[in-house]
Amino acid sequence: MGAASRPRWTRRAARAVAIRSMGVSSAQHTQCSAAHRGGNREAGSVSGAAVPELSRGDSSRCVVSPGLLPRESLRFLLAAPAVLCRSALLLLGSAPRPLQTCFCNGWVVSTGNEELWAQSVLEMPKRRDILAIVLIVLPWTLLITVWHQSTIAPLLAVHKDDGGDSQRDLAAGLDSKEYCLSDRDIVEVVRTEYVYTRPPPWSDTLPTIHVVTPTYSRPVQKAELTRLANTLLHVPNLHWILVEDSQRRTPLITRLLRDTGLNYTHLNVETPRNYKLRGDMRDPRIPRGTMQRNLALRWLRETFNKNNSQPGIVYFADDDNTYSLELFEEMRSTRKVSVWPVAFVGGLRYESPKVNAAGKVYGWKTVFDPHRPFAIDMAGFAVNLRLILQRSQAYFKLRGVKGGYQESSLLRELVTLSDLEPKAANCTKILVWHTRTEKPVLVNEGKKGFTDPNVEI
Amino acid sequence: MRLRLRNIFLVYFVVSLVGLFCALRELGEDPFHPPDLFKAPPIPPMPPPDPFHPLYSPPDSFHPPRPPPDPFQPPQPHFSPPRPVQKAELVRLSQTLLHVPALHWVVVEDAAAPSALVGGVLAASGVSFTHLSAETPPDLRGRPGDPSWLFPRGAEQRNRALRWLRDTRGRDEPGVVYFADDDNTYSLRLFEEMRSTRGVSVWPVGLVGGLRLERPLVSQGRVVGFHTGWRPERPFPLDMAGFAVGLRLLLAHPRARFDPRAERGFLESSFLGGLVTPAQLEPRADNCTQVLVWHTRTEKPKLRQEEQLQRQGRGSDPNIEV
Repeated sequence: MGAASRPRWTRRAARAVAIRSMGVSSAQHTQCSAAHRGGNREAGSVSGAAVPELSRGDSSRCVVSPGLLPRESLRFLLAAPAVLCRSALLLLGSAPRPLQTCFCNGWVVSTGNEELWAQSVLEMPKRRDILAIVLIVLPWTLLITVWHQSTIAPLLAVHKDDGGDSQRDLAAGLDSKEYCLSDRDIVEVVRTEYVYTRPPPWSDTLPTIHVVTPTYSRPVQKAELTRLANTLLHVPNLHWILVEDSQRRTPLITRLLRDTGLNYTHLNVETPRNYKLRGDMRDPRIPRGTMQRNLALRWLRETFNKNNSQPGIVYFADDDNTYSLELFEEMRSTRKVSVWPVAFVGGLRYESPKVNAAGKVYGWKTVFDPHRPFAIDMAGFAVNLRLILQRSQAYFKLRGVKGGYQESSLLRELVTLSDLEPKAANCTKILVWHTRTEKPVLVNEGKKGFTDPNVEI
Repeated sequence: MRLRLRNIFLVYFVVSLVGLFCALRELGEDPFHPPDLFKAPPIPPMPPPDPFHPLYSPPDSFHPPRPPPDPFQPPQPHFSPPRPVQKAELVRLSQTLLHVPALHWVVVEDAAAPSALVGGVLAASGVSFTHLSAETPPDLRGRPGDPSWLFPRGAEQRNRALRWLRDTRGRDEPGVVYFADDDNTYSLRLFEEMRSTRGVSVWPVGLVGGLRLERPLVSQGRVVGFHTGWRPERPFPLDMAGFAVGLRLLLAHPRARFDPRAERGFLESSFLGGLVTPAQLEPRADNCTQVLVWHTRTEKPKLRQEEQLQRQGRGSDPNIEV
């Protein structure tokens, strides 16, 4: 075959023919068949794909079937770039001489006129080169785009959540309120339940700490919420606002909240999912937990009157962090917004605000983008409820937020740097740790599930 | 396959297409983890904490503040702690244990001596505790790059706690011993379930053994088998957090201990084998149908920027305890 000394034209044409034989489109099919009419035999057709056959007396018969057998599918893959190139060349109007190419035992083999090849090489090297480069780069750009965004079509419509589900459990003595809100494409149902049971102790003088926790369903969810509840049970005057990322309130969370005995409010709002993708991928442009925290803010504004409400503090607590009990007492004295160091964030042992001798915050001791307006983690600040009620338009920004700027998107509408109150002994003690829980390796579950799905974990 | 440009091109195209397909596949699913059950981040040989827990439980008498769970802790941070989350884990666990009445916490560190960091957390927690230390011998301790499952973790420390119990507890003292790692999650109901243990009681453990849960199989109030996906041929295919031992039974068997040279996964069996047979196990948690403890694991925090700064000599203040 003399493949070693074959000119470049041959190889590209070979690829073109091979892709063509995959049956890319019927239009190209007829085009290509016409071009190959010079072949000695009619192209055999298998499942709509046509491949010219080698007439050289070689015993191999070239057959390409779309993935029926592994070997042929491998030939398919090998052939794909070549055929694409070839058909693109045809479209460009460059009419190559009919070339008979096919696969023999997996190898691309070409026969044809050597003289024409030489001519072709001289005549149009540029277009082919460009095309070849484009085709080489194309899969890589696709790959990188896909990896980077982890979504195929960013322009897909946001999923509309009807929210009008009919789960109404109006137990006696519970104040239940339900209404549908329209917020662009998102419709959510807000329900509130006040459950006052046994301790933690409740005092009339201490400000209430409203702890906002967004949560989503995953294997460790119940475990995380259990141990967070164990922590929160020690804190007096605490009100837990748990916002689920789900279409409706799940029985697992409902039962868990009821069993803890905490003073709680159970809300839910679903982050729009990208349903075109396989699985249940949420829209990655909205940072996790944002819609849930915003819902909690809205609930607070609608529940509490800014003129005569009890004093309160709002704190955003994720369910996998670790909180010391001292932290809650430190934040109780917040007048506007208080801040403190957080461990294990930003690739450091801890990140903390910089506090000058006068006890004012003047900067941020971080490595990751210390010039953010508020270079602090979600767990590193608390806001007075009155401020939330006064600035009733302050929410976390939903879209277009760079990594690490989510906290700033809320705080810049509430307070300036000089108004921040440093806690934890002028930001020298670590009272909260940004721990993360490993995703459990459930390899032995297999595809069908090994354990009884009715047992709740 | 001869090394030609054409072949290289073909290989390249195949690789790029395969990579594209993989990327597309991963969009819909979560990445599938490699099937190594005990794969953990490369933590230097720090045994997990281990609770050790006698409970006093006669129905109508006074409850002294006694029974101890026993987490034991890795060595001290000299500069930056080999296990940075140690303090956080202990704080979190202490907040759970503080709810349990009649509980005594025995903490055994894998160190030459009890450290100030752990001592401080224990003292501030408000839980009744005993702080011990026992160092793992160097030949049984993995090197920093070794996977964490290479050597059974915590055997020496748990044995130290067993020794403390045998030295300090009277023969007929009622109580229950429970081994609790500091990164697991315990519901408060679990402690009430184990309080009535006479021999060895068992219950399901969530998120362990590559499964959603591992549990003993119970029929007519007796354990007849074990539902597990990994090495079911073990005599006791349980996790350390899935059983509790009555103190009297333990003291009646002075030679029962954890074998530090036991094969991976057989640590629990090396201990329980000397105490009971599987048929004598007492099922709890509603005939082993409810999950009251989860084998959660905490990620090793990414301290890349910290390491960079320390190389430049600008690390964070080591006096601030994390």
